[in-house]
Amino acid sequence: MKRLMTRENAIRWAPMLVLIGLVILFTAINPAFLSQRNFARIAIAAAPALMVAIGVTFIIVMGSIDLSMEGTVGLTAVLFCFAFLATGGTLAAGAWVAIPLILLLGALIGLVNGLVHVRLRIPSFMASLAIGFVGTGAAVLVTGGDIVKIDDDTFRALLTWRIAGFPLMIYVVAALALLAWFIQSHTTLGRNFYAVGGGEELAHASGLNVRRVRIMGFVLAGVFYAVAGILQVAKLGQAESVSGANFMFISITSVVVGGVALWGGIGGIWNTVVGVLIVNVINNGMVVIGLPDFLQDGMLGLLVILAVVLSTDRRSISFVK
Amino acid sequence: MDLQRLKPHLPWITLIVLVVFVGITDSNFLKPANLLELAGDIVPLFIMALGLTFAIYIGGIDLSAQSMANMITVVASVYLASLGLWVAVLCVLLGFGLGLLSGFVTTRLFVPSFISTLAVGGVCFSVAQWLSGNRALNMDAEQRNALFGWMIGRTGIIPNELFIAAGLLALCLFIERRTTLGRALKAVGAGEMAAAASGLNVTRYKMLAFAISGALAAVAGLLFSVKLSGGAPTIANGFLLPAIVAVLVGGTPLTGGVGGVLNTAIGTLIVAVIRASMLYFGVQATQQQMVFGLVLIAAIALTIDRSKLRTVK
Repeated sequence: MKRLMTRENAIRWAPMLVLIGLVILFTAINPAFLSQRNFARIAIAAAPALMVAIGVTFIIVMGSIDLSMEGTVGLTAVLFCFAFLATGGTLAAGAWVAIPLILLLGALIGLVNGLVHVRLRIPSFMASLAIGFVGTGAAVLVTGGDIVKIDDDTFRALLTWRIAGFPLMIYVVAALALLAWFIQSHTTLGRNFYAVGGGEELAHASGLNVRRVRIMGFVLAGVFYAVAGILQVAKLGQAESVSGANFMFISITSVVVGGVALWGGIGGIWNTVVGVLIVNVINNGMVVIGLPDFLQDGMLGLLVILAVVLSTDRRSISFVK
Repeated sequence: MDLQRLKPHLPWITLIVLVVFVGITDSNFLKPANLLELAGDIVPLFIMALGLTFAIYIGGIDLSAQSMANMITVVASVYLASLGLWVAVLCVLLGFGLGLLSGFVTTRLFVPSFISTLAVGGVCFSVAQWLSGNRALNMDAEQRNALFGWMIGRTGIIPNELFIAAGLLALCLFIERRTTLGRALKAVGAGEMAAAASGLNVTRYKMLAFAISGALAAVAGLLFSVKLSGGAPTIANGFLLPAIVAVLVGGTPLTGGVGGVLNTAIGTLIVAVIRASMLYFGVQATQQQMVFGLVLIAAIALTIDRSKLRTVK
């Protein structure tokens, strides 16, 4: 039994246990929590956040950080609406072109992010924060502060068409999470993320083109942010420059709470899925049991500190900045 | 004259070039009244940047400054009626305490500062929403004028904010140049390992740096709420980016150790001139964020000390 209680096992299973514990707790306080309708509500709230969180997971696994998501999601959501309207306004009439276009744009923003970080040798948190500001600014610029609406029943079917009680977008998100897992576990790129995160100098010494891997990571993250932008539009039927607001805090909290170590190399997509569920179950549960929603950011703030503290091996680091 | 020797002088050269450039294109710009008003308007931002300087000087960052200022505008608006002048003390103590908490989480719990301050910022945001009930609050105008009117009035043609800014700058300059704390912060910023090895209590000094940053963000929030005669949980949004830009274009690099509060003063003036010129060229306030984002990247790329970063994460 003693071997079961290792640090690695605790870190691996703790987030899952926390999630189950939270579900039991909220159900005990208000049985209405444990209903299919409520679960669908949680899933819808979590869907765009999960895409953002999965994107940033690749980066955090490399030991870097990406804070550009608010700007990227905002800009892609807004431009998606414009592209959608410009290409016909309905999926059937050819507006589907907007989807690959915006995914490409996400990749491009990620590329710029990666290039600024790697080529100019700027720490990723600052490079991506600045790019995020630029993204939000660009979103304000193109919208002039207005809201852009999309009214296409075929596209909105992502939200309105339900299979077994869950909207179509949940299945899309699940499929993309599987894809992300595949990239992480079964491709060279995915392995390389872990190699860089586990020890950059070692990875470099063994012949890996670390800079390219880093840039690729940011490109991949950018694509997932763009997906989140599109889903955000599908969810709300509209976009504005602040469509990406609060994603930075929520997604990083989720990733860290799920057990992905900020130092890199540890954890992965499944941790992120569990983390996003924990954060959204807390947000939803607090409303269900009647706590005011302004407590959420404070709760999440304390939670993220706790999670980082628990997942940090204090013997292996000397100081942090 | 190579770039390395030129580097420390770049900030004020940039400032002069910018002022001359804008002065030539816009003849109204160089009028004393305009310059003074420009400087007066930027003071809350300057105070926040002043605090941020301490966090960046030691190689950290404080992303909670904006949320802190937001929260303080609410606190000041809510408690002005009951506490009177003491509300200022409450605000500064609150900022100092929460900054100390950021510092504690960073140094003792080994959470990187950009995460710990982001988390503390989340706590601030919650408190602000809770205290304000998610509404915009107004101060009692009479009471504000009686107690804090001196902050925003004018002496002759000089806005009083400038005296506050000068006072705080002098205080920070004194801390930086003439106290043990200042020397210790320099040592930590120049090389944390070496500072720890030579017996310095690095943890304590780093915590103090974050606390000073929090306290000054609180002062910025207080001044801002007095100016606007009210507060709201998101009222100071948009401060963080120009504040970071001000510190970095002033010449305090993200890696810390060099630069300082005097540099931040120059950096803030650069930000003010950029802002004014953008208004003159018809770039609206909401679009400035993009420009400042790009300026930020350029400033970091120019100032950062790459010899201190073995691997850039």
